[in-house]
Amino acid sequence: GDPGLPSSAMYPLEMEGNSNPKTTNKPKYSKFTQQELPACKPLLTPEIVIAAFALIGALFVPIGLASLHASRQVVELVHRYDASCVPVDDKVGFIQNSRTDKTCTVTMTVPKYMKSPIHVYYLIDGFYQNHRRYVRSRSDKQLRYKSAAHLTSDCVPEGDTADHAPIVPCGLVAWSLFNDTYTVRVNGVVTQVNKKDIAWKSDKNNKFGKNIYPSNFQKGRLIGGATLNESIPLSEQEDLIVWMRTAALPTFRKLYGRIEKDINANDNVTVVIQNNYNTYSFGGSKALVLSTASWIGGKNNFIGIAYLTIGGLCLSLAMGFLVLYMVKRRNFGDPSNLSWNR
Amino acid sequence: MRPDGKLPPPHPSLAPLPQRPQQATGTDMDPHARLPDPVPSPILKHSPSISRSLRSAADTSSVTFAADFRSPSKPESTSPSFDSFRTARSRPSSVSRSSTRRSASERAGSQRDLRDEDARFVYINDAPRTNAPPAMFPDNSIRTSKYSVLTFIPRNLYEQFHRVAYIYFLILAVLNFVPQLLVLSKEAGVLPLAFVLGVTAVKDAYEDWRRHRSDKNENNRTASVLADGVFRPKRWKDIQVGDVVRLVANETLPCDMVLVSTSDPTGVAYIQTINLDGESNLKTRYAKQETMSTPPEALAGVIKCEKPNRNIYGFLATVDLNGRRAISLGTSNVMLRGCELKNTVWAIGVAVYTGRDTKVVLNSSGAPSKRSRLETHMNREIIALAVALVVLCSVVSLLAGIWMGDHVDQLGIIPFFHKYDYSGAAAHDDGRYNWYGTGAQVVFTFMSAVIQFQVMIPIGLIISMELIRVGQAYFMVQDNRMFDEKSQARFQCRALNINEDLGQIKYVFSDKTGTLTQNRMEFRCASVQGRDFSETDGGEEDGHAVQADGVVLRPKTAVTTDPKLAALLKDGMGAKASRARDLFLALATCNTIVPIVEDTVNPAAKLVEYQGESPDEQALVYAAAAYGHKLVERTSGHIVVDVFGTRQRFDVLGLHEFDSDRKRMSVIIGCPDKTIKLFVKGADSSMFGIIDKTLNPDVVQATEKHLHSYSSVGLRTLVIGVRELSQSEFQEWQMAYEKASTALLGRGNLLRSVAANIERNMRLLGASGVEDKLQDGVPEAIEKLREAGIKVWVLTGDKQETAISIGYSCKLLTRDMTQIVINSNSRESCRKSLDDAISMVNKLRSLSTDSQSRVPLALIIDGNSLVYIFDTDREEKLFEVAIACDVVLCCRVAPLQKAGIVDLIKKRTSDMTLAIGDGANDVSMIQMADVGIGISGQEGRQAVMASDFAMGQFRFLVPLLLVHGHWNYQRMSYMILYNFYRNATFVFVLFWYVLYTGYTLSTAINEWSSVLYSVVYTSAPTVIVAILDKDLSRRTLLKYPQLYGAGQREESYNLRLFIFIMVDSVWQSVVVFFIPYLAYKNSAIDSASLGDLWTLSVVILVNIHLAMDVIRWTWITHAVIWGSIVATWICVIIIDSIPTLPGFWAIYEVMGTALFWALLLAVIVVGMIPHFAAKAIREHFMPNDIQIAREMEKSQDSRDANQPEVQMSTSTRA
Repeated sequence: GDPGLPSSAMYPLEMEGNSNPKTTNKPKYSKFTQQELPACKPLLTPEIVIAAFALIGALFVPIGLASLHASRQVVELVHRYDASCVPVDDKVGFIQNSRTDKTCTVTMTVPKYMKSPIHVYYLIDGFYQNHRRYVRSRSDKQLRYKSAAHLTSDCVPEGDTADHAPIVPCGLVAWSLFNDTYTVRVNGVVTQVNKKDIAWKSDKNNKFGKNIYPSNFQKGRLIGGATLNESIPLSEQEDLIVWMRTAALPTFRKLYGRIEKDINANDNVTVVIQNNYNTYSFGGSKALVLSTASWIGGKNNFIGIAYLTIGGLCLSLAMGFLVLYMVKRRNFGDPSNLSWNR
Repeated sequence: MRPDGKLPPPHPSLAPLPQRPQQATGTDMDPHARLPDPVPSPILKHSPSISRSLRSAADTSSVTFAADFRSPSKPESTSPSFDSFRTARSRPSSVSRSSTRRSASERAGSQRDLRDEDARFVYINDAPRTNAPPAMFPDNSIRTSKYSVLTFIPRNLYEQFHRVAYIYFLILAVLNFVPQLLVLSKEAGVLPLAFVLGVTAVKDAYEDWRRHRSDKNENNRTASVLADGVFRPKRWKDIQVGDVVRLVANETLPCDMVLVSTSDPTGVAYIQTINLDGESNLKTRYAKQETMSTPPEALAGVIKCEKPNRNIYGFLATVDLNGRRAISLGTSNVMLRGCELKNTVWAIGVAVYTGRDTKVVLNSSGAPSKRSRLETHMNREIIALAVALVVLCSVVSLLAGIWMGDHVDQLGIIPFFHKYDYSGAAAHDDGRYNWYGTGAQVVFTFMSAVIQFQVMIPIGLIISMELIRVGQAYFMVQDNRMFDEKSQARFQCRALNINEDLGQIKYVFSDKTGTLTQNRMEFRCASVQGRDFSETDGGEEDGHAVQADGVVLRPKTAVTTDPKLAALLKDGMGAKASRARDLFLALATCNTIVPIVEDTVNPAAKLVEYQGESPDEQALVYAAAAYGHKLVERTSGHIVVDVFGTRQRFDVLGLHEFDSDRKRMSVIIGCPDKTIKLFVKGADSSMFGIIDKTLNPDVVQATEKHLHSYSSVGLRTLVIGVRELSQSEFQEWQMAYEKASTALLGRGNLLRSVAANIERNMRLLGASGVEDKLQDGVPEAIEKLREAGIKVWVLTGDKQETAISIGYSCKLLTRDMTQIVINSNSRESCRKSLDDAISMVNKLRSLSTDSQSRVPLALIIDGNSLVYIFDTDREEKLFEVAIACDVVLCCRVAPLQKAGIVDLIKKRTSDMTLAIGDGANDVSMIQMADVGIGISGQEGRQAVMASDFAMGQFRFLVPLLLVHGHWNYQRMSYMILYNFYRNATFVFVLFWYVLYTGYTLSTAINEWSSVLYSVVYTSAPTVIVAILDKDLSRRTLLKYPQLYGAGQREESYNLRLFIFIMVDSVWQSVVVFFIPYLAYKNSAIDSASLGDLWTLSVVILVNIHLAMDVIRWTWITHAVIWGSIVATWICVIIIDSIPTLPGFWAIYEVMGTALFWALLLAVIVVGMIPHFAAKAIREHFMPNDIQIAREMEKSQDSRDANQPEVQMSTSTRA
């Protein structure tokens, strides 16, 4: 372009045609610029459609069967105890009263042989651990760095004590820590529930500080849940770590511990529960879960059924398309089908 | 080279040539080449709308002009009308504005004197005084850059926020900072907007940096400026108004200046204005005798000139040389910045406008901005999405209100709500924590929901579309098939926002001259004294070289001559032969051509090139040279013609330039034999009025017949006449002329009446026929466009016979067509023929109901009839006839009528229009049409400057529309729909989750992932696919032009497709959300893990959806689609590796479980089944044309793949 004309500099894409007639202005040839790069142009031919559906069907049905089988191997005992463990009508008053005896015993019969490790979970329903007011009320920096103890601005109203000392761990999440305890007896014999390594290793090693100890915790006028031993660092407070991995859905279970002993069929499992945790104020429920595990996780028939359904659907779609293609044939790439030739 | 000084000075009584006042009257819009132009430039009227202005043009020219010009009582009457005209047009643009204002100010100039308060005073050679306050003229530096380092951020942001969408996102980003609404963290909340603004800012900064660089180069060039009596070099940017600047040949002018003296004793300087208006011919400029006589050092005085304006064809000033009589200055006395001095040893001028006041800078505004049809339609869907957004937010806030109402007693102690602040020392539980009552809480929920779901309206879409258009434009510019070898002109994309409109064109309005034809005139035949000489068979191609001073001069272009005519001219005796010679003498002299002598490799041979503003004139002068009348030299005072080897000197005693009103030009020549001859040359319609038919009735009759036959074969005709003037007649004329040319009021009109006075009783000499050759490939291109369902209308200023014959030669008209001709001279007859046409159309329509036996129709209508039709509000009927016709040919139309015809279609149908033209007279139509295309041809750059796309040849329209337009439309449509779908899917997933969080706006998906989703995770594939994907190959698209119909029928973007893709989006979001939800119900899954699964599912799903619709897979497509999924995965992993985020390590944990992978697979398969099945059904059972063409292409490809082997085997055998 000519510098004397400001307009020539206005647009970078504007290629001036006549500016230099001596050298050729022709765009350089390359496969890229002329849009001639080698390309694959797949078409959805009947064969491909049928093959795709058949293939998916053939893949999904076995996976479905396998996972359904795995799920059926899992033995899971669920016992809801929130209502049965409170003898009075004023459930909230009962649970808030620190002087009442909240011990409660439940008994279950094991229907099938349970191979160790047997996971002990508590299952809570109606607790929105994903509530916006709740889920943000925490300070992850404070959990990890000693120097960040004062970073409690996100934790209000459980951030600081009345005399402005930071609460560690602060926030609603930690404050509402689950505090029911279970003592398990199998056929009357006390069976150890191992509470070690119930949290993720990554959390223990990197997320919760080894030199951070609880302070000013549960000192407010409203007690949310469990208290913490101030002499144990946060990285060892595994119940807290498990609790602070907030659940995705309002009905959730969390790992309480593991029984590292097999339980035989028809054994009696008695659990003595300290029923401390207040799910009554919001109409939630609590249950105790004993469960073995498989490669697909816990007891989960859904995924197996889903896979079988999808597989079946795809196979029938493959059949359906096969029939459709047979019934209504069309010549591939026939120019006489073009709208202006019809 | 120029024998300056050897010849005696020009005729003493003849003042320097007239100031070309006629040019003011409308030749601007109607360059010389457009001889037959029946209607005066209609922009002169007070017209609030196009149709009214067209109507006004109906009034016969003379009356209107006279009324307008001779009304000094309302000197300002024109200006407001232009303003109203401009606003009515609603799309003002630089060029139309400059041209309208031009005529306004020039006319104003001829009516009144320059008032002091409207003037600028320039003291010659006294810059300090000139620039003293209050004048304060700008310096001569130019600045095309928009920003400086300091102003970049504020100004760029200010410009970017002119987009409404960005303001919406800004409001949301600000809302997010309200503590009660803090949905996203502060950083995440501003990231999307910051990203989009940042990308645009980087693009703008780069462009501006380039401008800075070119400005700097420009400002630091040097020119020689008079200082203390000596010319010294001075940097351009330091030149001031009032400085005296000296230029030598081939130098570029640094500023606008008044010419005061030149190396030529008559004060002529030649300039080339290619940088200004693209016209490559030389233009003459004159220095006033009064200023020439004083040496530049001694020059003192004051120039009073008008304030800076954009009109490059107008200048109004007077110069007062120290108390002497004020001398008026006009356009012919100024040289404008950007022009180059040519063929003049030196020239000296006084700077009058500098820097940003110069006309070239005032005229340099970008291309007009248009909005594409797709974008307009897109707004409809965006409103639908906005409604959906409001519905979602209302549902959430309503449910939240109900939930809070149900739990109002418990909210105080619910651990996850914690309405009260119990940490305080107060005994009662009154300290509220983030609680403002249920009503307020519902409002907050609504606003938070808007912030959370904001991507429902895709923020990335605007920037994606910009990037895509840049990419598409790149490939259009790079396309070798749209490169014109002849003019070395590349395709240009001047407007970057209507690429996709090229795929939906229904009407093409084409100019004829220069667009369909080459505008390279060739002399074909002559009618001399009633005899037709069109037999060039036996003729030789003759440039007619002549020898002078031992040097052979040869015209640059040779013309094939008719041997009989050549013989008659050379050796003929008698009156007939001398009249024939007169005719060629007229052709050689009656013009404004300047002969330029060029050196060749052979020092003894030189080429003469005839430079002029009109290609017709050039062709005629070359023809005259071939027939022995060779123009050798032209100065302002004389012309030297080599007549069969003898040089003859003719004094130019007077010249009336061509104007579109008179449609003729005349020259008064003092011949060597002391006779004075008046030659007139002009359009037949104007010439037969001034010819004295009694002088030679048989010749007149024969010539009329010849003219008819010439124009019926598509030739452009001119009629030539002569009259010998007696001495007294001449003197009378001279006095009148001098009086008129020095008049201060109404100069133009006076000169016109002087011309009319002398141009009468002419003797007819003959006529000429000039062929305007068709551009390459025009018939084929028109054929293709017609096949593609595009209606081609030709709008031309030529007369009917010429237009029809060109119509036949470019296959626009065919023999089997029924022609409806509307060519009326009165309102009544016009109404009648229009009614006849309608009944004819209806009759034919009822006769042939099926498309097979349909008779093709062609409508041929002329400008006068159009005027009557627009005048009597019968546009509706015209429209009815016009759309029933296959071809419409409008002849003798004025520039603004062209725009009116485009508007006729635009107003009444929703079909897309395209206008293509090359000249200044096409500008209005180019700007009116949805897509304007300029041909970078011979007629200057005005059309190109006003256009959206520019190219070298008409035939490039075929690849442009059928190939690139088709691609662009298909890709862009898909991209927009896909963008809606992809963001909606994500929003719906977020929405389902909100139903399980107590209707609070929290997400399991990491907030960073949710802001990165639309700008990073999924944006690159859409951009790349929309630039590179092609549904069909170029070959197929060109072979089956009917495939273009897909765009015309809006098959790729419509409400039905939008609904389909939205249903798909809802389905996929349900699958993405509920399959994991059902699988993880009652389990120990944490939100971060589930969120990661959802993020990956959505990203993979939408990318596979895209992948399924991609048609051509190149390695780039593979890289970008699969790369995007990988990049998302990497981003998720990186985000989950930050220990201070709640989701730390979740992705590692969840990827270790089999359930995660099983769910991912299930989600993708279930999500894709409906789309896949629907696609399979659609493609097989209801294939559209594109689908079938794709299949044909596929079988063709496999055949091609087999072909080479066959050939090899045969060749080895042979």
